[in-house]
Amino acid sequence: MNRVLPSALLISFITVFITACSPAASPSTGMGQLLNGNAQGYTPVTPNVSLQFPADHMAHNDFRQEWWYLTANLETESKEQVGLQWTQFRIALSPPSAQQTDRQLLANSAIDSSPWQTEQLYMSHTAITSQTQHQAEEKWSRGHQSIAGTQAEPLTIRQDDWQWRSQSKQLFPATLNVASSDFSYQLQLDTTAPFQLQGDNGYSVKNAAGSVASYYYSQPFITVTGSLVRDGKREKVSGHAWLDREWSSQFLSKTQQGWDWFAIRLDSTSTLMLFQLRDDTGEQSHFYSGRRMYQDGRGHNISNQQITMTATAWQQTPSGRYPVQWHIQIPSENIDITTTPLNNDSSMPLSIPYWEGPINISGTHNGMGYMELTGY
Amino acid sequence: MSSQLGLTVRLSLAVFARHYLKAPLQAGAILLGFILAVMLLIGVRATNENAVRSYSQATELLSQRAQLILAPVAGKKVIADSVYIRLRQAGVTQSLAVLAGTVTDSKGQRWDIQASDLIAALSIQQYQSKSNDTAKPAKVSMLSSGIPLAKLLSGKPYILMSESHAEQVAPKGILELEGVMLSVISVSDEFGLGNAILMDISLGQQLLDRPGELSYIALFGNASQLTAKVSQIFSQQSIKQFELAEQDEGEGLTSLTRSFHLNLTAMSLLAFVVGLFIAYNGVRYSLLKRQKLLVQLQQQGVPQRALLIALFLELFGLVIIGSVLGFILGLQLSHWLQPMIALTLEQLYGARLLPGLWQWSWLYQAIGLTFVAAICACLPLFNALAKQPLARSSSRFEQQRHAGKYQRILFVTAIGLLTLAATLFPFSRDYQHSLILLGVVTVAIPLLLPLSLQLCLSVATRVSRNGLWQYAVAESKELIAPLSLAMMAMLLALTANISMNTLVGSFEITLKNWLDARLYADIYIRPPNDKIEATQTLLAKQAKVSAVYGQWVHKSHYQNAPISLMTRDVHSLRNSNQMKAQVDNLWPQFFEGSALMISEPMAIKYRLEVGDLVSLPEFKNASQPPLPIGAIFYDYGNPLGQVIVSQHTWQRLALSSSPTSIAASYTGEIAELEHILQQQIPLSAAQMYNQAKIKQRALEIFKRTFSITLVLNSLTLMVAAIGLFSACLMLTQARQAPLARLYALGVSRNQLRGIVSLQMLLIVLFTCLLALPAGALLGYLLINKVTLQAFGWSIAMVWDWHAYFQVVLIALGASALAVLLPLYWQTRKPLITSLQQEAL
Repeated sequence: MNRVLPSALLISFITVFITACSPAASPSTGMGQLLNGNAQGYTPVTPNVSLQFPADHMAHNDFRQEWWYLTANLETESKEQVGLQWTQFRIALSPPSAQQTDRQLLANSAIDSSPWQTEQLYMSHTAITSQTQHQAEEKWSRGHQSIAGTQAEPLTIRQDDWQWRSQSKQLFPATLNVASSDFSYQLQLDTTAPFQLQGDNGYSVKNAAGSVASYYYSQPFITVTGSLVRDGKREKVSGHAWLDREWSSQFLSKTQQGWDWFAIRLDSTSTLMLFQLRDDTGEQSHFYSGRRMYQDGRGHNISNQQITMTATAWQQTPSGRYPVQWHIQIPSENIDITTTPLNNDSSMPLSIPYWEGPINISGTHNGMGYMELTGY
Repeated sequence: MSSQLGLTVRLSLAVFARHYLKAPLQAGAILLGFILAVMLLIGVRATNENAVRSYSQATELLSQRAQLILAPVAGKKVIADSVYIRLRQAGVTQSLAVLAGTVTDSKGQRWDIQASDLIAALSIQQYQSKSNDTAKPAKVSMLSSGIPLAKLLSGKPYILMSESHAEQVAPKGILELEGVMLSVISVSDEFGLGNAILMDISLGQQLLDRPGELSYIALFGNASQLTAKVSQIFSQQSIKQFELAEQDEGEGLTSLTRSFHLNLTAMSLLAFVVGLFIAYNGVRYSLLKRQKLLVQLQQQGVPQRALLIALFLELFGLVIIGSVLGFILGLQLSHWLQPMIALTLEQLYGARLLPGLWQWSWLYQAIGLTFVAAICACLPLFNALAKQPLARSSSRFEQQRHAGKYQRILFVTAIGLLTLAATLFPFSRDYQHSLILLGVVTVAIPLLLPLSLQLCLSVATRVSRNGLWQYAVAESKELIAPLSLAMMAMLLALTANISMNTLVGSFEITLKNWLDARLYADIYIRPPNDKIEATQTLLAKQAKVSAVYGQWVHKSHYQNAPISLMTRDVHSLRNSNQMKAQVDNLWPQFFEGSALMISEPMAIKYRLEVGDLVSLPEFKNASQPPLPIGAIFYDYGNPLGQVIVSQHTWQRLALSSSPTSIAASYTGEIAELEHILQQQIPLSAAQMYNQAKIKQRALEIFKRTFSITLVLNSLTLMVAAIGLFSACLMLTQARQAPLARLYALGVSRNQLRGIVSLQMLLIVLFTCLLALPAGALLGYLLINKVTLQAFGWSIAMVWDWHAYFQVVLIALGASALAVLLPLYWQTRKPLITSLQQEAL
């Protein structure tokens, strides 16, 4: 009995600690706190840096945050529409400069280095959404070469048993294995399309002043086959997926509270990435950005002024009230569409609550996609 | 109309206030009652809630218990941390790696430290809180905590300690362990770290110089699913890397804990009732004193409604003042009680007590409860007042007649309650029901008192000599009515005290006897598996070792609850068990393998009797048919049920042939043998227990567990004594005129003092006399119903005269003080003042 005491003690201790210290865990500050924190000491995001593959598929520990973000619009054999999301986040706990000092300090203090030592924290989210059900799960781990992180060959992005495993150093073809307590899936992912570099060759600006940016590339044309287990029942699924890779040391400016982000498949060969970063203080106007992308690798950016997006319906969920239906107009692209969620309550009641789920598009284009709403 | 009502209410209140200013004793008595009642209620409540909070937050006993433990294989001290990594990779993420060890500081002092994967600990917590409350999103963020995760996870020399512990051992925020200067991050005591030193595994492994090693891995979730999954993950492993152990001690301990708190709560409610008695007595007395005043007010046109409202408001005001003062004192009381509980909890349950905490809601609840109870108690008084005819006619005789009727009603109610309890007790099988019935008996006992006292005094009047003494005894009867409430409170406290003393005393004697029989060997050794044989051989070679005994234990299940299946050597089997019940000719049947023995708690839990058939999963595996119970043996303090089989049966079940523990009788100094074992095997001191040490420790824990109960008991008695004191004080005040009249008639001061003392002595002695059987009855029920049903322990009831006379002496002392002091004041007053009391 006494042997177990420390473990329970530990858990309880941390619980009290974090619950006592998280008065700010309200949705609006959650994401903000994560993404607009102090970037000092971390590698800054600068223009005119060319992204290198496959090296940039791996973790960039000297940047503050990073993610591998896959959303998939799938169909089961019985033609049921299902959305899947898998995201692995990396969060650096201290800037590389401090890490350096720490090592010197350790060297002086007669403590050897341990494989458990880490400055990286990993968090993964997964969700499965159908018209009637939305299930989400989260995982936290410390960075550790065998537990959470990336590996070059074969390229592996893993946290515990949630793993993206490629056949080579390249991202594709790959399998994605995820098992949560309520559902699990195993997907084969492949593509022939080139990567799309967002913004200016992968340098994606996040505010009008250009002071906040990230490195950002996407693969919007992934074909998916695989299987999915829900309620103990295994089903085959197939469809399309979209991968976003993004890393930065500061994603949001101090006044930005959240964003509305869209990954839209307009037709079989063209897609649209679109986001709005909201400035809730009223000091600045919202910042819009978008990119039209084609399967053959072509693509062009859509500027701030050309985008009009309006929320047309709201949904109250246990974790907040979200604008779930949008009217999007981009006259220069001849786009005038309305997005409707597959499931109104696709809220993610996790450490940082947000809304993420599959959407259907109607209007000038008819298609599917994914929407993410944060900071509400 | 309403403004007129308001005016008269205000007027009445002003008159009452003047009255209390003139007679502060009356207000004081009422307040004292409320204060004492609320103080004990709050004191125990704060202590209890704090203790419960401590378990739930600081131990695995309750919600956060690990269901499964991966422990090192027998004979090894560590598990490789690769096992933990493997588990995580396979998706068993509700797991926690823990490395525990001891380090020394620069002065050579040893410190226990604990290291773990802090992030895993946090995510398990998040998961558990989420599954407990699925409706709400988990409002927890690892990033928003003020804890310097970056420093901890990167293996920097930072450790976590509770504030108070850090203040004690590392006031400068630095602790040097194993030659490493560690910065102490002190966190609030509320976080339940107690005296633990906590750190991340990245630092812990280095500090202990145990890279790649873990002490154990705790798994959370469904035990059987986890077992299946873990065995599947490691199915291809050729070398066994760990032992799987299910955590099974929680249930027994939880019920023990629950009963412990129930016990405390019951005591506090008892104290509350005793306090209310005092307050009620005060209210009654002050109303009696104001009877004339109230009539006068009515005669002058104050409506009855206004008068009643004013009385309620007055009561409410007193309740609020009393409750607030009681609340403050109660928190202070809890502050004193908590170290006592803390010791018990830490020793018995391994829980650390969290620092004190209190809530405003307790005050509101206390005020509410006190007010409702006070209203209920005083309603008949107010009612009687309201019905009082304006032409005041309630003569002394009238009151007395009422008192007689009242006493009879109480007596009949008590008899009814006792009959009800007597009828229902045989049917109660659950200790909670028994506790309720016990409560009924407890309430009934004081109700018997007034009439019983009346009868006793009637008898005493008849046998007493003529003259002044007969007058004194006869007058005592008149005192019963005003004193009865205080005496009822006293009786209640006495009875509770006697019964608790009986329980604790009996339990202690039973436990001692049982330990004596159970611990027949001089030394008990629990060697690691690979050293068992060597230990046995070494013991056999020692000339002074007169006998070597063995015990084999196997974890099994009976009706899905964990039990211990065990056997011992023939000598131990025959001599170490005290039987509650057994078949004739037990031993031949038992040794040939056609009977088994079970422990008493198990027999009571599953309602098994001698002759019933018992089968265990191990029986089925070895195609052994069920065996009849040959005997039921006493067992105290073991939360698991026990089944003992003979060695013959043990072999047939094909269970482990090497003993779990070895014991030996030794004719020389035990320290000598311990030394030999330490040198030659070698065994560590922690693997050997000598008999005297075990006994001492068992009794120590026992005493600590009950010390708080006894303290509360004494407090209740003290409250009752204060109640008696205030009742006597008021009574003597009221009797100033009659006593002065006696003095005027020629009775000397000394005789007067003698009379009053004799009267009180008679009343108190008769009360103690009634407390004797009542206490014995409650003690009997506590032992034979509640304890037996709650724990499955038969305890032989031992009556302790010494303890009884002790409480009688306390009661007499309290009443002597209560009588003599006011009497002394009074008999020194000028005669005329006392005589005037009547007229006033």
